[in-house]
Amino acid sequence: MRTLGDRLPLWITGTVTGLVFILLYSPVFISLLFSIVEIRQGKILWETLSFKHYVTLWSNPSVMAALSNTAIVALISVAVATVLALVLALYTEWEGALGRRALELVIYLPFLLPPIVTGLALLVASAELGLNRGLVTIVLGHAVFVLAVAYRLVLTRLQALPHSLVEASFDLGAGRLQTLRYVLLPHLASAVMTGAVLALTLSFDETLISTFVAGDQMTLPLRLWAMMRVGFTPEINALVTLVLLVSIILAIIVAWRMQPKGQAEEG
Amino acid sequence: MTEMGKRWLVFLGVAFVPALLIVAPITSFLVLSLYRAEKNLIIREITFGNYANFFGNWTYFGTFLGTVLLCLEVMGAAVLIGYPVAWFIWQQKGSRRYLLLLLAVMPLFMSYIVKLYTLRSMLGLNGLVNQALLGLGILERPSQAFLFNQRAVLITMVVIYLPFVILPIFLALERIPRSLLQASLDLGAGGWDTFRRIVLPLSLPGTVAGALFAFVLALGDFVTPQMVGGTTGFTIGRVIYSQFGLAYDWPFGAAMATILFVTALFGILLAGYSISRQRV
Repeated sequence: MRTLGDRLPLWITGTVTGLVFILLYSPVFISLLFSIVEIRQGKILWETLSFKHYVTLWSNPSVMAALSNTAIVALISVAVATVLALVLALYTEWEGALGRRALELVIYLPFLLPPIVTGLALLVASAELGLNRGLVTIVLGHAVFVLAVAYRLVLTRLQALPHSLVEASFDLGAGRLQTLRYVLLPHLASAVMTGAVLALTLSFDETLISTFVAGDQMTLPLRLWAMMRVGFTPEINALVTLVLLVSIILAIIVAWRMQPKGQAEEG
Repeated sequence: MTEMGKRWLVFLGVAFVPALLIVAPITSFLVLSLYRAEKNLIIREITFGNYANFFGNWTYFGTFLGTVLLCLEVMGAAVLIGYPVAWFIWQQKGSRRYLLLLLAVMPLFMSYIVKLYTLRSMLGLNGLVNQALLGLGILERPSQAFLFNQRAVLITMVVIYLPFVILPIFLALERIPRSLLQASLDLGAGGWDTFRRIVLPLSLPGTVAGALFAFVLALGDFVTPQMVGGTTGFTIGRVIYSQFGLAYDWPFGAAMATILFVTALFGILLAGYSISRQRV
Protein backbone atom coordinates (compact mmCIF):
# COMPACT_ATOMS: atom_id res chain seq x y z
CA MET A 1 0.00 0.00 0.00
CA ARG A 2 1.27 3.41 -0.88
CA THR A 3 1.15 6.22 1.63
CA LEU A 4 0.97 9.91 0.89
CA GLY A 5 4.71 10.19 1.55
CA ASP A 6 5.38 7.69 -1.24
CA ARG A 7 3.10 9.36 -3.71
CA LEU A 8 4.20 12.93 -3.12
CA PRO A 9 7.49 12.58 -5.10
CA LEU A 10 5.53 11.04 -7.97
CA TRP A 11 3.05 13.92 -7.98
CA ILE A 12 5.77 16.56 -7.90
CA THR A 13 7.94 14.99 -10.59
CA GLY A 14 4.85 14.19 -12.62
CA THR A 15 3.84 17.84 -12.58
CA VAL A 16 7.35 18.88 -13.63
CA THR A 17 7.25 16.31 -16.44
CA GLY A 18 3.87 17.57 -17.63
CA LEU A 19 5.05 21.18 -17.71
CA VAL A 20 8.27 20.20 -19.51
CA PHE A 21 6.32 18.28 -22.16
CA ILE A 22 4.01 21.26 -22.74
CA LEU A 23 7.09 23.44 -23.17
CA LEU A 24 8.85 20.96 -25.48
CA TYR A 25 5.85 20.47 -27.74
CA SER A 26 4.56 24.03 -27.86
CA PRO A 27 6.62 24.78 -31.02
CA VAL A 28 4.78 22.04 -32.92
CA PHE A 29 1.33 23.23 -31.91
CA ILE A 30 2.08 26.89 -32.38
CA SER A 31 3.45 26.45 -35.89
CA LEU A 32 0.68 24.01 -36.83
CA LEU A 33 -1.98 26.47 -35.62
CA PHE A 34 -0.41 29.49 -37.31
CA SER A 35 -0.13 27.60 -40.59
CA ILE A 36 -3.86 26.96 -40.93
CA VAL A 37 -5.58 29.91 -39.24
CA GLU A 38 -4.95 33.62 -38.88
CA ILE A 39 -4.38 35.07 -35.47
CA ARG A 40 -4.95 38.75 -34.76
CA GLN A 41 -4.48 40.43 -31.38
CA GLY A 42 -4.21 37.13 -29.60
CA LYS A 43 -7.54 35.86 -30.99
CA ILE A 44 -7.82 32.84 -33.24
CA LEU A 45 -9.93 33.57 -36.32
CA TRP A 46 -11.32 30.12 -37.00
CA GLU A 47 -13.19 31.29 -40.10
CA THR A 48 -9.82 31.82 -41.86
CA LEU A 49 -8.99 28.13 -41.58
CA SER A 50 -7.39 26.89 -44.80
CA PHE A 51 -4.53 24.83 -46.17
CA LYS A 52 -3.68 27.24 -48.96
CA HIS A 53 -0.25 28.03 -47.52
CA TYR A 54 0.73 24.40 -47.95
CA VAL A 55 -0.20 24.62 -51.61
CA THR A 56 1.70 27.84 -52.33
CA LEU A 57 4.80 26.25 -50.81
CA TRP A 58 5.16 23.96 -53.82
CA SER A 59 5.49 26.91 -56.19
CA ASN A 60 8.20 28.64 -54.13
CA PRO A 61 11.43 27.91 -56.08
CA SER A 62 13.86 28.82 -53.27
CA VAL A 63 12.09 26.49 -50.84
CA MET A 64 12.01 23.66 -53.36
CA ALA A 65 15.72 24.15 -54.13
CA ALA A 66 16.54 24.05 -50.43
CA LEU A 67 14.41 20.93 -50.04
CA SER A 68 16.19 19.08 -52.84
CA ASN A 69 19.60 20.17 -51.49
CA THR A 70 18.66 18.84 -48.06
CA ALA A 71 17.59 15.51 -49.53
CA ILE A 72 20.76 15.17 -51.64
CA VAL A 73 23.03 16.08 -48.73
CA ALA A 74 21.23 13.75 -46.32
CA LEU A 75 21.26 10.73 -48.64
CA ILE A 76 24.90 11.02 -49.73
CA SER A 77 26.34 11.95 -46.34
CA VAL A 78 24.42 9.20 -44.58
CA ALA A 79 25.54 6.62 -47.16
CA VAL A 80 29.17 7.71 -46.75
CA ALA A 81 28.96 7.77 -42.94
CA THR A 82 27.24 4.38 -42.77
CA VAL A 83 29.82 2.59 -44.89
CA LEU A 84 32.62 4.27 -42.95
CA ALA A 85 31.01 3.39 -39.62
CA LEU A 86 30.66 -0.25 -40.65
CA VAL A 87 34.32 -0.51 -41.72
CA LEU A 88 35.53 1.27 -38.57
CA ALA A 89 33.36 -0.80 -36.23
CA LEU A 90 34.40 -4.10 -37.85
CA TYR A 91 38.01 -2.99 -37.56
CA THR A 92 37.91 -1.84 -33.92
CA GLU A 93 35.82 -4.75 -32.66
CA TRP A 94 37.00 -7.73 -34.68
CA GLU A 95 40.48 -6.94 -35.91
CA GLY A 96 42.05 -5.80 -32.65
CA ALA A 97 42.63 -2.19 -33.53
CA LEU A 98 45.82 -0.35 -32.79
CA GLY A 99 45.15 2.76 -30.75
CA ARG A 100 41.46 1.99 -30.47
CA ARG A 101 40.71 4.64 -27.83
CA ALA A 102 42.43 7.38 -29.83
CA LEU A 103 40.62 6.32 -32.99
CA GLU A 104 37.26 6.33 -31.18
CA LEU A 105 37.91 9.74 -29.64
CA VAL A 106 38.52 11.08 -33.16
CA ILE A 107 35.29 9.48 -34.42
CA TYR A 108 33.23 10.90 -31.55
CA LEU A 109 34.83 14.36 -31.53
CA PRO A 110 32.64 16.08 -34.16
CA PHE A 111 29.59 14.91 -32.24
CA LEU A 112 30.89 15.86 -28.79
CA LEU A 113 32.47 19.20 -29.65
CA PRO A 114 30.40 22.34 -30.03
CA PRO A 115 29.23 22.38 -33.68
CA ILE A 116 30.90 25.76 -34.18
CA VAL A 117 34.31 24.10 -33.76
CA THR A 118 33.53 21.35 -36.26
CA GLY A 119 32.07 23.85 -38.71
CA LEU A 120 35.05 26.17 -38.42
CA ALA A 121 37.56 23.35 -38.75
CA LEU A 122 35.93 22.23 -41.99
CA LEU A 123 35.65 25.81 -43.24
CA VAL A 124 39.34 26.53 -42.64
CA ALA A 125 40.44 23.20 -44.08
CA SER A 126 38.41 23.62 -47.25
CA ALA A 127 39.73 27.17 -47.68
CA GLU A 128 43.30 25.92 -47.25
CA LEU A 129 42.72 23.22 -49.83
CA GLY A 130 41.10 25.68 -52.22
CA LEU A 131 37.89 23.66 -52.12
CA ASN A 132 34.86 25.75 -53.07
CA ARG A 133 32.12 25.80 -50.48
CA GLY A 134 28.93 24.18 -51.65
CA LEU A 135 27.11 20.88 -51.61
CA VAL A 136 30.36 18.87 -51.43
CA THR A 137 31.53 20.60 -48.26
CA ILE A 138 28.05 20.31 -46.68
CA VAL A 139 28.03 16.58 -47.45
CA LEU A 140 31.47 16.16 -45.86
CA GLY A 141 30.38 18.16 -42.82
CA HIS A 142 27.25 16.11 -42.29
CA ALA A 143 29.06 12.81 -42.90
CA VAL A 144 31.64 13.65 -40.23
CA PHE A 145 28.90 14.74 -37.83
CA VAL A 146 26.63 11.68 -38.15
CA LEU A 147 29.51 9.17 -38.30
CA ALA A 148 29.61 8.99 -34.49
CA VAL A 149 25.95 7.94 -34.25
CA ALA A 150 26.19 5.32 -36.98
CA TYR A 151 29.44 3.95 -35.53
CA ARG A 152 28.05 3.71 -32.00
CA LEU A 153 24.95 1.77 -33.13
CA VAL A 154 26.88 -0.69 -35.31
CA LEU A 155 29.47 -1.20 -32.57
CA THR A 156 26.84 -1.93 -29.91
CA ARG A 157 25.29 -4.62 -32.09
CA LEU A 158 28.67 -6.04 -33.00
CA GLN A 159 29.65 -6.32 -29.34
CA ALA A 160 26.45 -8.24 -28.64
CA LEU A 161 27.34 -10.89 -31.25
CA PRO A 162 29.13 -13.94 -29.85
CA HIS A 163 32.64 -14.48 -31.22
CA SER A 164 31.75 -18.16 -31.63
CA LEU A 165 29.64 -17.24 -34.67
CA VAL A 166 32.70 -16.09 -36.55
CA GLU A 167 34.84 -18.95 -35.25
CA ALA A 168 32.23 -21.44 -36.43
CA SER A 169 32.18 -19.79 -39.83
CA PHE A 170 35.97 -20.04 -40.09
CA ASP A 171 35.91 -23.67 -38.90
CA LEU A 172 33.45 -24.51 -41.65
CA GLY A 173 35.93 -23.17 -44.16
CA ALA A 174 34.53 -19.75 -44.92
CA GLY A 175 36.98 -16.98 -45.73
CA ARG A 176 36.95 -13.50 -44.24
CA LEU A 177 34.80 -12.00 -46.99
CA GLN A 178 32.36 -14.91 -46.92
CA THR A 179 32.05 -14.60 -43.13
CA LEU A 180 31.38 -10.89 -43.50
CA ARG A 181 28.85 -11.44 -46.27
CA TYR A 182 26.92 -14.39 -44.83
CA VAL A 183 27.40 -14.15 -41.07
CA LEU A 184 28.16 -10.62 -39.90
CA LEU A 185 26.25 -8.41 -42.31
CA PRO A 186 22.86 -10.13 -41.88
CA HIS A 187 23.18 -9.69 -38.12
CA LEU A 188 24.22 -6.07 -38.49
CA ALA A 189 21.65 -5.08 -41.08
CA SER A 190 19.00 -3.77 -38.68
CA ALA A 191 21.51 -1.82 -36.59
CA VAL A 192 22.93 -0.31 -39.77
CA MET A 193 19.44 0.66 -40.94
CA THR A 194 18.53 2.19 -37.57
CA GLY A 195 21.78 4.13 -37.58
CA ALA A 196 21.07 5.35 -41.10
CA VAL A 197 17.57 6.60 -40.27
CA LEU A 198 18.86 8.30 -37.11
CA ALA A 199 21.63 9.90 -39.16
CA LEU A 200 19.06 11.04 -41.74
CA THR A 201 17.03 12.88 -39.11
CA LEU A 202 20.17 14.54 -37.75
CA SER A 203 21.36 15.60 -41.19
CA PHE A 204 17.87 16.83 -42.08
CA ASP A 205 17.93 19.38 -39.22
CA GLU A 206 21.62 20.15 -39.03
CA THR A 207 22.12 23.92 -38.99
CA LEU A 208 25.23 25.03 -37.14
CA ILE A 209 27.89 23.19 -39.14
CA SER A 210 26.10 23.91 -42.42
CA THR A 211 26.19 27.66 -41.72
CA PHE A 212 29.97 27.59 -42.08
CA VAL A 213 30.40 25.23 -45.01
CA ALA A 214 27.33 26.01 -47.12
CA GLY A 215 28.70 28.90 -49.18
CA ASP A 216 25.81 30.14 -51.29
CA GLN A 217 23.98 26.81 -51.20
CA MET A 218 20.92 26.53 -48.97
CA THR A 219 19.61 23.62 -46.98
CA LEU A 220 16.13 23.70 -45.48
CA PRO A 221 17.16 24.86 -41.98
CA LEU A 222 19.37 27.58 -43.49
CA ARG A 223 16.55 28.68 -45.78
CA LEU A 224 14.19 28.84 -42.79
CA TRP A 225 16.68 30.83 -40.78
CA ALA A 226 17.09 33.32 -43.62
CA MET A 227 13.31 33.64 -44.04
CA MET A 228 12.79 34.18 -40.32
CA ARG A 229 15.13 37.14 -40.19
CA VAL A 230 12.76 38.97 -42.50
CA GLY A 231 9.52 38.03 -40.80
CA PHE A 232 7.15 35.21 -40.27
CA THR A 233 4.53 34.42 -42.88
CA PRO A 234 1.89 31.67 -42.74
CA GLU A 235 3.83 30.03 -45.57
CA ILE A 236 6.86 29.58 -43.31
CA ASN A 237 4.62 28.07 -40.65
CA ALA A 238 3.36 25.59 -43.22
CA LEU A 239 6.93 24.70 -44.16
CA VAL A 240 7.91 24.43 -40.50
CA THR A 241 4.99 22.13 -39.78
CA LEU A 242 5.97 19.86 -42.67
CA VAL A 243 9.60 19.82 -41.52
CA LEU A 244 8.53 18.95 -37.98
CA LEU A 245 6.21 16.21 -39.21
CA VAL A 246 8.94 14.59 -41.31
CA SER A 247 11.40 14.65 -38.40
CA ILE A 248 8.82 13.24 -36.02
CA ILE A 249 7.96 10.42 -38.42
CA LEU A 250 11.66 9.57 -38.86
CA ALA A 251 12.15 9.67 -35.09
CA ILE A 252 9.22 7.30 -34.56
CA ILE A 253 10.69 4.88 -37.12
CA VAL A 254 13.97 4.89 -35.20
CA ALA A 255 12.20 4.37 -31.87
CA TRP A 256 10.08 1.57 -33.29
CA ARG A 257 13.17 -0.20 -34.66
CA MET A 258 15.08 0.10 -31.41
CA GLN A 259 12.16 -0.83 -29.16
CA PRO A 260 11.99 -4.67 -29.44
CA LYS A 261 15.63 -5.06 -28.47
CA GLY A 262 15.20 -2.90 -25.39
CA GLN A 263 12.21 -4.98 -24.27
CA ALA A 264 14.08 -8.22 -24.81
CA GLU A 265 16.77 -7.01 -22.45
CA GLU A 266 14.15 -6.04 -19.88
CA GLY A 267 12.60 -9.48 -19.83
CA MET B 1 56.37 -8.15 -44.10
CA THR B 2 56.23 -8.57 -40.34
CA GLU B 3 52.95 -9.14 -38.51
CA MET B 4 53.29 -5.77 -36.80
CA GLY B 5 53.98 -4.03 -40.07
CA LYS B 6 50.86 -5.55 -41.56
CA ARG B 7 48.76 -4.39 -38.63
CA TRP B 8 50.09 -0.85 -39.03
CA LEU B 9 49.26 -0.89 -42.73
CA VAL B 10 45.65 -1.94 -42.02
CA PHE B 11 45.40 0.70 -39.30
CA LEU B 12 46.61 3.43 -41.64
CA GLY B 13 44.16 2.28 -44.29
CA VAL B 14 41.19 2.30 -41.94
CA ALA B 15 42.12 5.42 -39.99
CA PHE B 16 42.94 7.43 -43.10
CA VAL B 17 39.47 8.81 -43.73
CA PRO B 18 38.74 9.94 -40.14
CA ALA B 19 42.21 11.48 -40.01
CA LEU B 20 41.60 13.34 -43.26
CA LEU B 21 38.10 14.52 -42.37
CA ILE B 22 38.44 15.19 -38.66
CA VAL B 23 42.05 15.47 -37.48
CA ALA B 24 43.33 17.48 -40.44
CA PRO B 25 40.57 20.15 -40.26
CA ILE B 26 41.03 20.63 -36.52
CA THR B 27 44.81 20.84 -36.96
CA SER B 28 44.39 23.37 -39.75
CA PHE B 29 42.49 25.80 -37.58
CA LEU B 30 44.89 25.30 -34.70
CA VAL B 31 47.68 26.31 -37.09
CA LEU B 32 45.66 29.21 -38.49
CA SER B 33 45.29 30.62 -34.97
CA LEU B 34 49.04 31.17 -34.92
CA TYR B 35 49.01 33.35 -38.05
CA ARG B 36 47.80 36.91 -38.24
CA ALA B 37 45.56 38.89 -40.54
CA GLU B 38 46.39 42.22 -42.06
CA LYS B 39 43.84 44.01 -44.24
CA ASN B 40 41.97 40.82 -45.05
CA LEU B 41 45.21 38.99 -45.93
CA ILE B 42 46.53 36.14 -43.86
CA ILE B 43 50.23 36.59 -43.01
CA ARG B 44 51.75 33.17 -42.48
CA GLU B 45 54.21 33.89 -39.68
CA ILE B 46 54.00 32.14 -36.36
CA THR B 47 52.82 34.53 -33.63
CA PHE B 48 50.98 34.31 -30.35
CA GLY B 49 49.55 37.77 -30.90
CA ASN B 50 45.98 36.50 -31.26
CA TYR B 51 46.11 34.80 -27.89
CA ALA B 52 47.73 37.86 -26.27
CA ASN B 53 45.01 40.00 -27.78
CA PHE B 54 42.32 37.66 -26.46
CA PHE B 55 43.58 37.43 -22.88
CA GLY B 56 44.69 41.08 -22.76
CA ASN B 57 41.39 42.51 -23.95
CA TRP B 58 38.57 42.38 -21.42
CA THR B 59 35.92 42.70 -24.16
CA TYR B 60 36.89 39.25 -25.41
CA PHE B 61 38.09 37.53 -22.25
CA GLY B 62 35.14 38.88 -20.26
CA THR B 63 32.71 37.63 -22.89
CA PHE B 64 34.36 34.23 -22.72
CA LEU B 65 34.09 34.04 -18.91
CA GLY B 66 30.50 35.28 -19.12
CA THR B 67 29.72 32.55 -21.64
CA VAL B 68 31.25 29.85 -19.44
CA LEU B 69 29.19 31.14 -16.51
CA LEU B 70 26.04 31.14 -18.65
CA CYS B 71 26.73 27.58 -19.78
CA LEU B 72 27.21 26.46 -16.17
CA GLU B 73 23.84 28.03 -15.33
CA VAL B 74 22.21 26.31 -18.32
CA MET B 75 23.79 23.03 -17.20
CA GLY B 76 22.61 23.42 -13.60
CA ALA B 77 19.07 24.40 -14.54
CA ALA B 78 18.79 21.62 -17.13
CA VAL B 79 19.91 18.99 -14.61
CA LEU B 80 17.60 20.34 -11.88
CA ILE B 81 14.62 20.15 -14.23
CA GLY B 82 15.72 17.10 -16.22
CA TYR B 83 16.45 14.81 -13.27
CA PRO B 84 12.87 14.79 -11.88
CA VAL B 85 11.54 14.19 -15.39
CA ALA B 86 13.90 11.25 -15.97
CA TRP B 87 13.06 9.87 -12.51
CA PHE B 88 9.32 10.14 -13.15
CA ILE B 89 9.61 8.36 -16.50
CA TRP B 90 11.72 5.65 -14.84
CA GLN B 91 9.00 5.11 -12.21
CA GLN B 92 6.45 4.25 -14.89
CA LYS B 93 5.77 0.66 -15.87
CA GLY B 94 5.73 -1.21 -19.16
CA SER B 95 5.04 0.49 -22.44
CA ARG B 96 3.99 3.77 -20.81
CA ARG B 97 7.59 4.25 -19.72
CA TYR B 98 8.93 3.98 -23.27
CA LEU B 99 6.17 6.14 -24.70
CA LEU B 100 7.05 8.92 -22.25
CA LEU B 101 10.73 8.45 -23.00
CA LEU B 102 10.05 8.74 -26.71
CA LEU B 103 8.07 11.94 -26.09
CA ALA B 104 10.93 13.35 -24.03
CA VAL B 105 13.57 12.54 -26.63
CA MET B 106 11.69 13.38 -29.82
CA PRO B 107 12.28 17.15 -29.57
CA LEU B 108 15.94 16.34 -30.33
CA PHE B 109 14.85 15.63 -33.88
CA MET B 110 12.72 18.71 -34.31
CA SER B 111 14.07 21.65 -36.21
CA TYR B 112 16.36 23.67 -33.99
CA ILE B 113 15.69 26.92 -35.84
CA VAL B 114 11.93 26.42 -35.51
CA LYS B 115 12.16 25.85 -31.78
CA LEU B 116 14.17 29.03 -31.45
CA TYR B 117 11.64 31.00 -33.42
CA THR B 118 8.59 29.78 -31.53
CA LEU B 119 10.33 30.28 -28.19
CA ARG B 120 11.15 33.79 -29.26
CA SER B 121 7.52 34.48 -30.05
CA MET B 122 6.49 32.95 -26.72
CA LEU B 123 8.90 35.13 -24.74
CA GLY B 124 8.05 38.32 -26.65
CA LEU B 125 5.90 41.27 -25.61
CA ASN B 126 2.66 39.64 -26.81
CA GLY B 127 3.94 36.14 -26.18
CA LEU B 128 2.50 33.30 -24.16
CA VAL B 129 4.65 33.99 -21.09
CA ASN B 130 3.44 37.57 -20.79
CA GLN B 131 -0.17 36.58 -21.50
CA ALA B 132 -0.02 33.95 -18.78
CA LEU B 133 1.51 36.32 -16.22
CA LEU B 134 -1.08 38.98 -17.08
CA GLY B 135 -3.86 36.44 -16.79
CA LEU B 136 -2.63 35.31 -13.37
CA GLY B 137 -2.48 38.92 -12.25
CA ILE B 138 1.26 38.75 -11.54
CA LEU B 139 2.00 41.47 -14.07
CA GLU B 140 -0.06 44.57 -14.80
CA ARG B 141 1.54 45.32 -18.15
CA PRO B 142 3.35 43.04 -20.61
CA SER B 143 7.03 43.01 -19.74
CA GLN B 144 10.03 43.29 -22.05
CA ALA B 145 12.06 41.37 -19.49
CA PHE B 146 11.84 37.98 -21.21
CA LEU B 147 13.34 38.72 -24.59
CA PHE B 148 16.63 40.05 -25.96
CA ASN B 149 18.71 39.63 -22.83
CA GLN B 150 20.87 37.01 -21.16
CA ARG B 151 17.90 35.58 -19.25
CA ALA B 152 16.09 34.85 -22.52
CA VAL B 153 19.22 33.06 -23.78
CA LEU B 154 19.34 31.03 -20.57
CA ILE B 155 15.66 30.02 -20.72
CA THR B 156 15.82 29.11 -24.41
CA MET B 157 19.00 27.06 -24.06
CA VAL B 158 17.56 25.12 -21.13
CA VAL B 159 14.42 24.27 -23.11
CA ILE B 160 16.40 23.24 -26.18
CA TYR B 161 19.02 21.17 -24.35
CA LEU B 162 16.70 19.48 -21.80
CA PRO B 163 16.18 16.28 -23.86
CA PHE B 164 19.98 15.86 -24.06
CA VAL B 165 20.01 15.77 -20.25
CA ILE B 166 16.90 13.65 -19.66
CA LEU B 167 18.01 10.76 -21.92
CA PRO B 168 21.38 9.89 -20.30
CA ILE B 169 19.93 10.26 -16.77
CA PHE B 170 17.10 7.89 -17.67
CA LEU B 171 19.53 5.37 -19.19
CA ALA B 172 21.62 5.45 -16.01
CA LEU B 173 18.53 4.99 -13.81
CA GLU B 174 17.38 2.08 -15.94
CA ARG B 175 20.68 0.30 -15.44
CA ILE B 176 20.17 0.13 -11.67
CA PRO B 177 19.27 -3.49 -10.80
CA ARG B 178 15.82 -3.86 -9.23
CA SER B 179 17.27 -6.27 -6.67
CA LEU B 180 19.42 -3.50 -5.23
CA LEU B 181 16.38 -1.34 -4.56
CA GLN B 182 14.51 -4.32 -3.08
CA ALA B 183 17.46 -5.10 -0.81
CA SER B 184 17.63 -1.52 0.38
CA LEU B 185 13.93 -1.48 1.24
CA ASP B 186 14.18 -4.91 2.90
CA LEU B 187 16.98 -3.65 5.10
CA GLY B 188 14.64 -0.98 6.36
CA ALA B 189 15.76 2.06 4.40
CA GLY B 190 12.95 4.45 3.58
CA GLY B 191 12.21 5.71 0.09
CA TRP B 192 14.25 8.85 0.62
CA ASP B 193 17.25 6.97 2.08
CA THR B 194 17.19 4.52 -0.83
CA PHE B 195 17.13 7.40 -3.26
CA ARG B 196 19.91 9.34 -1.56
CA ARG B 197 22.27 6.43 -0.93
CA ILE B 198 21.60 4.13 -3.88
CA VAL B 199 19.67 5.70 -6.75
CA LEU B 200 21.40 9.07 -6.77
CA PRO B 201 25.01 7.80 -6.65
CA LEU B 202 24.33 5.11 -9.26
CA SER B 203 22.70 7.58 -11.63
CA LEU B 204 25.58 10.03 -11.31
CA PRO B 205 27.49 8.92 -14.45
CA GLY B 206 24.43 9.54 -16.62
CA THR B 207 23.79 12.84 -14.90
CA VAL B 208 27.36 13.94 -15.54
CA ALA B 209 27.08 12.90 -19.19
CA GLY B 210 23.82 14.83 -19.59
CA ALA B 211 25.21 17.88 -17.84
CA LEU B 212 28.23 17.79 -20.11
CA PHE B 213 26.07 17.64 -23.23
CA ALA B 214 24.18 20.75 -22.12
CA PHE B 215 27.39 22.57 -21.23
CA VAL B 216 29.29 21.84 -24.43
CA LEU B 217 26.35 22.52 -26.72
CA ALA B 218 25.62 25.82 -25.00
CA LEU B 219 29.30 26.80 -25.13
CA GLY B 220 29.55 27.10 -28.88
CA ASP B 221 25.98 28.07 -29.71
CA PHE B 222 25.91 31.26 -31.74
CA VAL B 223 22.39 31.09 -33.17
CA THR B 224 20.38 31.05 -29.92
CA PRO B 225 22.09 34.18 -28.53
CA GLN B 226 21.55 35.90 -31.85
CA MET B 227 17.87 34.96 -32.13
CA VAL B 228 16.72 35.63 -28.55
CA GLY B 229 19.62 37.54 -27.01
CA GLY B 230 19.49 40.70 -29.09
CA THR B 231 22.37 43.11 -28.73
CA THR B 232 23.04 42.31 -25.07
CA GLY B 233 23.10 38.54 -25.44
CA PHE B 234 26.69 38.34 -26.58
CA THR B 235 28.50 35.03 -26.21
CA ILE B 236 31.90 33.87 -27.37
CA GLY B 237 30.20 31.82 -30.10
CA ARG B 238 28.77 34.99 -31.62
CA VAL B 239 32.11 36.78 -31.36
CA ILE B 240 33.87 33.91 -33.14
CA TYR B 241 31.16 33.79 -35.80
CA SER B 242 31.52 37.52 -36.47
CA GLN B 243 35.28 37.13 -36.99
CA PHE B 244 34.56 34.80 -39.89
CA GLY B 245 31.88 37.03 -41.33
CA LEU B 246 31.92 40.79 -40.84
CA ALA B 247 35.31 41.32 -39.23
CA TYR B 248 37.10 38.90 -41.56
CA ASP B 249 39.89 38.18 -39.10
CA TRP B 250 40.11 34.43 -39.51
CA PRO B 251 43.27 33.87 -37.45
CA PHE B 252 41.82 35.72 -34.46
CA GLY B 253 38.55 33.82 -34.80
CA ALA B 254 40.53 30.57 -35.01
CA ALA B 255 42.42 31.50 -31.83
CA MET B 256 39.17 32.04 -29.93
CA ALA B 257 37.75 28.82 -31.40
CA THR B 258 40.90 27.04 -30.18
CA ILE B 259 40.23 28.28 -26.65
CA LEU B 260 36.63 27.08 -26.98
CA PHE B 261 37.90 23.73 -28.32
CA VAL B 262 40.29 23.30 -25.38
CA THR B 263 37.55 24.22 -22.87
CA ALA B 264 35.11 21.74 -24.43
CA LEU B 265 37.76 19.01 -24.64
CA PHE B 266 38.66 19.60 -20.99
CA GLY B 267 34.97 19.20 -20.08
CA ILE B 268 34.65 16.02 -22.15
CA LEU B 269 37.75 14.42 -20.62
CA LEU B 270 36.73 15.46 -17.10
CA ALA B 271 33.29 13.90 -17.58
CA GLY B 272 34.84 10.78 -19.13
CA TYR B 273 37.16 10.49 -16.13
CA SER B 274 34.38 10.89 -13.56
CA ILE B 275 32.21 8.35 -15.40
CA SER B 276 35.00 5.77 -15.60
CA ARG B 277 35.75 6.22 -11.89
CA GLN B 278 32.09 5.59 -11.11
CA ARG B 279 32.13 2.24 -12.88
CA VAL B 280 34.85 0.77 -10.65
